[in-house]
Amino acid sequence: MNFINRAIKNVSRRMSKTVLLVLTFFLIGNLVIIGLGVSKASESAKILTRQKMRAVVTYGLDYNKIWQYADTIEDEDELQEFYNNYPRIRLEEVAAFLEDERVKTANTVNINMWYSDSQNTLDFVHLGNRAEEDLDSSNGQSCWYDDVTNEQMCETYKNPFFLIKSNMFPDMIEFEDGEYRIVSGRFYTQQEIDNGSLVCLISENLAALNGVSVGDSIVLAVNYLASYMEQFGVTEEDLENRFEVIGIFSHDQPITPDAPNFDYCYPYENPDNMIFMPSTTIYMAQLPMQQKQFDYYAEMYGDDADMNEYYGNPDNRPSESNMASQMYINDVTLLLSDPMDVDDFVKDYQSSLSQFASLSANNEEFNRLAKPLDTLSMYANFIVWLVIINAIVIITLVTALTLKTREYEIGVLLSIGASKLKVIGQFFIELAIVAILGFTLSVISGSLIAKRIGNTVLEYQIASSEVSEEDDYYYYNNGFDPWNTDYTTDISLEDLVAEYEVKISPMIIGEIYILGLGIVLISVIIPSFMIMRYNPKKILMNQN
Amino acid sequence: MTEILRLENINYSYIDGGYERQILKDLSFSFEAGKFYTILGPSGSGKTTLLSLVAGLDSAKSGKIYFKGKDIDEIGLHKFRRNAISIVFQQFNLISYLTAVENVLLAMSETDNEIPKDRKNVAYNLLERFGIVRSKADRMVNQLSGGEQQRVAIARSLASNVDLIFADEPTGNLDTATEKEIISIFKELAHDFGKTIIVVTHSDTVSAMSDQRVLLKDGKLTQIK
Repeated sequence: MNFINRAIKNVSRRMSKTVLLVLTFFLIGNLVIIGLGVSKASESAKILTRQKMRAVVTYGLDYNKIWQYADTIEDEDELQEFYNNYPRIRLEEVAAFLEDERVKTANTVNINMWYSDSQNTLDFVHLGNRAEEDLDSSNGQSCWYDDVTNEQMCETYKNPFFLIKSNMFPDMIEFEDGEYRIVSGRFYTQQEIDNGSLVCLISENLAALNGVSVGDSIVLAVNYLASYMEQFGVTEEDLENRFEVIGIFSHDQPITPDAPNFDYCYPYENPDNMIFMPSTTIYMAQLPMQQKQFDYYAEMYGDDADMNEYYGNPDNRPSESNMASQMYINDVTLLLSDPMDVDDFVKDYQSSLSQFASLSANNEEFNRLAKPLDTLSMYANFIVWLVIINAIVIITLVTALTLKTREYEIGVLLSIGASKLKVIGQFFIELAIVAILGFTLSVISGSLIAKRIGNTVLEYQIASSEVSEEDDYYYYNNGFDPWNTDYTTDISLEDLVAEYEVKISPMIIGEIYILGLGIVLISVIIPSFMIMRYNPKKILMNQN
Repeated sequence: MTEILRLENINYSYIDGGYERQILKDLSFSFEAGKFYTILGPSGSGKTTLLSLVAGLDSAKSGKIYFKGKDIDEIGLHKFRRNAISIVFQQFNLISYLTAVENVLLAMSETDNEIPKDRKNVAYNLLERFGIVRSKADRMVNQLSGGEQQRVAIARSLASNVDLIFADEPTGNLDTATEKEIISIFKELAHDFGKTIIVVTHSDTVSAMSDQRVLLKDGKLTQIK
């Protein structure tokens, strides 16, 4: 007749007391399950949504900070010195982030629009109804003021064919994400970036249209030869470069004739006409044109003191050796392996950032939309804690009253040599049996109630909160925006709510039992200690 | 006869209404094995207190109690209670949600003393020896009469195979016929089984049947010849 047997016999032979206690635990269990279920659903909706979002962190300059700092400089020379050494993002800073194993790649994207007189473009003639003439007629005018005569000059503007997307690192978020996939060849290497090699990756449709394979070369022009260009002495040869096709890619953003706005799209707005190459390649390709422009202004502003400070200095002339210092990084987007690491990543680096740098998890919108879920989770947690505290108080009181009537039993057990631990063990098992019974029943009913209550409360919470959806901005065909370098994932309240599902997982059930047994332990230990702090004689006398 | 329990200079007092009340004063006494003792004395003389001290339920303010020559504090009161003594209470103090046989088995499960393997049969036999037949042994104890419950309590006290059995007014709630029966059992335990029985009582019937009557008066024990 060990203490476990005694506990089982007590529970089974004092049925009315057992039923009442089971009912008590059943009610407590229901309330805890509802609270935990709703709270976990809110948390998990946030996590699931977060996991679906792209794990990106943006690194850039905080211009507000820069301006505020500049405002504090009163001395004009000092201010000029500050502007001459204007803060900038250095490549080494970005490369340092890539050393972190959480970072997959970094985008320092530059977008240019180029031309080609030698190559066919995959324009909309092939996909829809827009003919070359139609494109020409929509070109409009390009105007500028002549630097010498100050007269306004105008000529027909020519639409570019290609969108050139470039990066300073040998990988891109687009390719890491699988949005773009290399079907033949490879991505550009660090060595090609360092050398500014004339290499590129083109789409498989563009390659097919032009009969180009990996290893072939294509001719692209950084601009078209207009009068504006001719004034600098730029020739067609200066604008054109031959690029080796090192990779051919496919993508999942096809433009089809049934897409909205299809008729109004220009060739460069077609993702098939997108070309990837290193940012340094762009610098090198534009070098002859840039040098002629520099030389032109150096000659023109020879007598102008202010302008001469820049153009009079040969060190400022674009050149291969000046490439590293003359390439500016505006914004950096870091792609992390796990969306759940984003906040910690930002926190880890925040304190070591330079004075004007900023690192952002871009979660303001997410946090704003998640507010109803946060409120719901907060209330649910509040209920859980309230129930737990009440449960401890109620069960402790019930146990204390029950043990008071069993004081003689404790005295007898101690007088025949039972240890205090075994006595407490018996009471714990007795209460644990009824708690497990009550909680098991509550798991069934609680999960049904939690679903209903959770959904009703969330609906009310959304309706009463002031969360509003941002207006959708204009998207190009099928959502493809050629200019977009924002890699954060747009989410809506619907996305969050879609992930919200109150379900009683095995983990919650486990938590309920652990919680229940914790309540039981506390409820048994406190009154047991109150009784057993006396010696057996005193306990037996109290009973008498 | 062999000495089994010796009390040396036992003092016990408690605070009552702000005054210290001395119950036992330099009490020394020796109990021999295999004898049936009754402790007599007026109400409030400290009989129950003395019993609780020798049973290891309470501790004296000063003095020593030796069991078979060993200080019970050194043995450890918990171990002493588990392996050396049993107590029979006036209110029987059986566990109400257990049957008679389960109450007996309870005592067996808590001792370190050697108990035969077939515990349940031993428990039934023990109960049967004290007049509790098998059909009654399987009943919940509150379905038994007072006399039967006290027999179960005595059976429980024997179940742990201890040398010392204490009883506090064991017949206080029983009729005269049952009282005599119980006393006979105590005598049998002392004489046939070599147990030392120390009974606290007011009853002349009980004390008359004991081997040795001891009077507790003014905090001291004296033998009544």
